Amino acid sequence: MDNFEILGTLGRFRQILAALGRQRFRVQLVLAGIAITAARLTLPAPYPNEELLVTSNPIGRYGGRLVAALRSEPKTLNPVTAVDVASLEVIRRMTADLIHINRYTHRTEPALAKTWKVSRDGRHYILHLRRGIRFSDGRPFNADDVVFTFQVLLDEKVHSPQRDLLVVGGEPIAARKIDAYTVEFELPQADAAAERIFDSIAILPRHVLQKVYDEEKMDQAWTPGTPSGEVVGLGPFRLKEYNPGQHIILERNPYYWKADRTGNRLPYLDEIAFLFAGSEDAQFARFQAGELDVVSRLSPDNFSLLERKRQARGYKLYDLGPGFQYEFLFFNLNDMSSKGTEPIVREQEWFRKVEFRQAVSAALDREGIVRLVYQGRGAPLWGHVTPANKMWVDAALPRPPRSLDRARQLLKSVGFSWKDDGTLIDSRGEIVQFSIVTNAGNSQREKTATIIQDDLAKLGMRVHVVPLEFRALTDRVFHTFDYEACLLGLVSGDADPNPEMNVWILGGGTHLWNLSQSRASAQWESEIDGLMRRQLTTLDYHQRKKLYDRVQQLVAEDLPLICLVSPNILVGAKENLENFQPANLSDYALWNADQLFFRKASPDQPR
Amino acid sequence: MRYYTRRLLHTIFLIFGVSVLSFLFMELAPGEFFDEMRLNPQISPETVVALRHQYGLDKPLAVRYVRWVQSVFKGEFGFSFAYNRPVAPLLMSRARNTLLLTLTATLFAWLIGIPWGVWIAVRKGKWPDHFSTVVVTGLVSVPDLLLALVALLVAMRTGWFPVGGMVSLGSSEWGPAHKVEDVASHLFCPALVLFLGSLPTIIRHARTAMLGVLDSGFVRAAQAHGISSRRLLFRHALPAAAGPLISLVGISVGTLLSASLLVEAIMGWPGIGPLLLEAILARDLYLVVGAVIFSTAFLVAGNLVADALLYRIDPRIRGE
Repeated sequence: MDNFEILGTLGRFRQILAALGRQRFRVQLVLAGIAITAARLTLPAPYPNEELLVTSNPIGRYGGRLVAALRSEPKTLNPVTAVDVASLEVIRRMTADLIHINRYTHRTEPALAKTWKVSRDGRHYILHLRRGIRFSDGRPFNADDVVFTFQVLLDEKVHSPQRDLLVVGGEPIAARKIDAYTVEFELPQADAAAERIFDSIAILPRHVLQKVYDEEKMDQAWTPGTPSGEVVGLGPFRLKEYNPGQHIILERNPYYWKADRTGNRLPYLDEIAFLFAGSEDAQFARFQAGELDVVSRLSPDNFSLLERKRQARGYKLYDLGPGFQYEFLFFNLNDMSSKGTEPIVREQEWFRKVEFRQAVSAALDREGIVRLVYQGRGAPLWGHVTPANKMWVDAALPRPPRSLDRARQLLKSVGFSWKDDGTLIDSRGEIVQFSIVTNAGNSQREKTATIIQDDLAKLGMRVHVVPLEFRALTDRVFHTFDYEACLLGLVSGDADPNPEMNVWILGGGTHLWNLSQSRASAQWESEIDGLMRRQLTTLDYHQRKKLYDRVQQLVAEDLPLICLVSPNILVGAKENLENFQPANLSDYALWNADQLFFRKASPDQPR
Repeated sequence: MRYYTRRLLHTIFLIFGVSVLSFLFMELAPGEFFDEMRLNPQISPETVVALRHQYGLDKPLAVRYVRWVQSVFKGEFGFSFAYNRPVAPLLMSRARNTLLLTLTATLFAWLIGIPWGVWIAVRKGKWPDHFSTVVVTGLVSVPDLLLALVALLVAMRTGWFPVGGMVSLGSSEWGPAHKVEDVASHLFCPALVLFLGSLPTIIRHARTAMLGVLDSGFVRAAQAHGISSRRLLFRHALPAAAGPLISLVGISVGTLLSASLLVEAIMGWPGIGPLLLEAILARDLYLVVGAVIFSTAFLVAGNLVADALLYRIDPRIRGE
């Protein structure tokens, strides 16, 4: 057989294989068609006048169970009382809001409200609701459910933590039904971000909860152990099974109000299961063992460990860049006169000097913290708005490099000097020494505190790092004020500045460095307070941006919080999970759970 | 009857004392449940104050204690702040799992530990005794924490056993045999750790108790009368050695329970352990007190059973 014959034989062989392949492809196509048709048959067809929201995602295939993990057990399935992350993660898969913030674009988009109009004064919102859509028990949704939801949330006897979001300028907003599918909201004053307050306000089924509310038992409704049929929502999934201490399983809501371009009702997944893993390390172990399909908020150490084996284990890893969390150091500037803690009062004389805080800031090696603590997976910060927040970050904010010389000059300018052995002393000859408290068990914070200790030692400051159990730490920060400096972090729940109001206004509950005050102790503090209050009612984005840029400048100059770093959002998912689009705003991985689907796994792919 | 009444009264006083101490310790611990909310800029201080009032945290300790005692009589054992529901049903769903784990480990530890201890007591000074001394010393010196971590690592690396949990996803739809097999596979690692942790104590106690009896005069006299060693061991020596071993039952139940809380938390077994740990960290006062009371009751029940058995078999106690 010469070479041509061999080539010819090979060619025929290839033709046969291709034909077989086409035939197999056709068979697969038919089978997939049967599967999709069967899945569709189990889902209700669109009802007459049902105004479904049509998504633009790539078309998926029905089926499969996605397994994710929670760090703790959800404490409740009640959207009115939930505050813990685990509960909210589950509840958001089972409920829907009127106007939604797209976690990827950070912009608002229609949800249960298909359109809305705002009055010129920004105080009246008229929301037009989708017609013909149904709750997960098949009962119809209308304006009564919306009005009932806001009545429950605003009822002071219910003590819903979400009530604070619905109070504008000290007065609650009012919801009024215009017709079965139109609701008007009246705000006591204009709120620049009013559209955004509707996000994550889960619309409650009046037909299920009215009786519970009338009996004043709203706060006890919908525990995880409630029978599955009684927990009703408008989200893509509904409760199927809860196993205490182990897992919760949600199943597809057959009445969900979204569909893809070809009319397939979402979600594609049959089920989502949440395992209660206990810790980030346990989540990592279970993801590595193949028990989880998705893992989010990984630590940089575990992310690096996963990176080495990602091809062999069949998962993809995503470094989304900095999120909305900002880590910072702050000094105790509370009024301690009534507390009688003499040493702290003496040290506060240093802390109150802006030059002292600026010197500390100048001496800190932010790049070093990013490199050593976060393995390069973070962004150094000079202001409290992280680079992830493209709409609001002040790009012109100075980012001075670390400079020990500048730090020494600043300290000298306010009377500090150095002993022969390099120890820093104040004008009275007192050695500058203080403690930094942080939460024990958070290895990133503990490492960061040690780096700060080392950096400040170069200025002659003697710094002690004191890791404390979390509640003991919050007790000191919020009640006893028995601390000198503290290393903490906050996560902005939204891109908009308004949810951060309590951090920056005088007397705000999260005005961490000085919780005791209601009057400004310095001019910059009252200026920040005034700017935040003005931006709240300024409707024009550009004007608001200018006001908020000024806030960022004041924070960066006067340093009530010395911002250090924003950790990257690190996420992992099985390779065959499609439409997976993790975001750097919470809830990171599963915000578009209704669009996720599994590509058919090839034989060598773990599933 | 008087003996049992006295023991019961002791038990009630003990549980009362433990509940008072638990309340005091939780009060002394810095921080409280709602502090975490204060770090959320979207929740106002007024809301936190209102929630504290709703759950009675603004009331004096004595008032809270009296309210808690009232709720005990209603069978609620207080109200969990985190779960927003009574403590008793929360604990009951977890207590079953803890009991399954602890009793399985105890059963196997006793079934293997007692014969092993007796066997090496009979062969004192020979190679089984020396070999067992090495094994027992080795197991005693390894902390439960390390055993749990090694078991977890083996389970994760090999995939032979599940990593955490008690049942597999979807197991609710399986048949009974498949369900039992599933629970057994999840139970294996944590039960093995507890078994290995308690085995050396039982072997040592059994050996010592048996040696004490074998060295006694009545055994030597029985041997001199020509009673076969098998009959001597099972009819005379073992019942005589039972006293100290039964006392050990009460103690080992308590130690095993405290060890199981640690092992559960590490290995993800859905018992009281992870719930208690989370409640302590979150300062969920009544849940902590409830879990401590449950553990105390379990320990006391173990001791009561041991005392009752001793009362039955030891005439000296009946004579007291």
